[in-house]
Amino acid sequence: MATVRIPTPLRKYTQGREDVVVSGQTVAELLENLESSYPGIRERICDESGAVRRFVNVFVADEDIRFLDNLNTPVGEADEVSIVPAIAGG
Amino acid sequence: MTPLHGVVFVIVGLGGLGCPALLGLVAAGARRFMLVDDDHVDASNLARQVLYGIADVGKLKVERARAFVCARAHELDIVTHAHRIDVSQVSSFLTELPDRAILLDCTDDPRLKFAINDACVRSGRSVVIGGVLQFRGQAMAVAPDSACFRCIYEAPPPAELAPACGHVGVLGTVAGVLGYVMASLAVRIALHERDTSGNLLDLDLRTGATRTLHAKKRENCRACANAA
Repeated sequence: MATVRIPTPLRKYTQGREDVVVSGQTVAELLENLESSYPGIRERICDESGAVRRFVNVFVADEDIRFLDNLNTPVGEADEVSIVPAIAGG
Repeated sequence: MTPLHGVVFVIVGLGGLGCPALLGLVAAGARRFMLVDDDHVDASNLARQVLYGIADVGKLKVERARAFVCARAHELDIVTHAHRIDVSQVSSFLTELPDRAILLDCTDDPRLKFAINDACVRSGRSVVIGGVLQFRGQAMAVAPDSACFRCIYEAPPPAELAPACGHVGVLGTVAGVLGYVMASLAVRIALHERDTSGNLLDLDLRTGATRTLHAKKRENCRACANAA
């Protein structure tokens, strides 16, 4: 079970929780299970084709999944998965 | 004289990030600045825009910012531009800057952040891009040979996922920390310190979590792929 860090704009889907524990052997599986537990959240992360939206980034253990294996990136038991949208306030 | 004296630090946006960034740079020994912001001080700004006081409400931010730091350090060379840079104007704005200029994007406009990133990458300039919201902040230094902001985020977020500080709030202390972080990154660029650029610092000051997210240049990055 990996720990997924939820950014502030998406915490309304997780009842305000900033960290949730989700199972999944790959990022794709993890996002699917995240959606099962917190309906509506995946649409904010992925587009209609299932790809991660262009203004969001997903990191597994602080590494960008686009430089690993994208949604097929393996997720280890103790891994921390971060969903990191751009923050633009100034 | 310090190694920073010959560098012009261009601060775009003199709000929650720009104010502490300017203070941090002056404290580090920087002496030459260009301040860009068309806004006037509002009472709602005072909690986090630390260069302004009650008597400054209604006055131009760039002028009040200049006055504040000039009272704190000698021989400051500060040029002010009380106008707003539109996305379409960024490239031409950069052509007017001296060679040894380092930009700090302290704006609150996601589209402008990407435009500044792209224009800096195209023109071989260094920039520090920052953002804050509620308890969180991000800062990234971009240099000609590093990954850029668009290598991490391919496009600006839609409005509903990029709320402004004025709508959802930001803790003044968070803006203060991020502004100083941006100043530190700009100083490190000016000093040619290795490993300064290309990583996204992501801070959550409610939990204390600080992460360095490693970015790599994307082959199909719209900004890097078209760079000179």
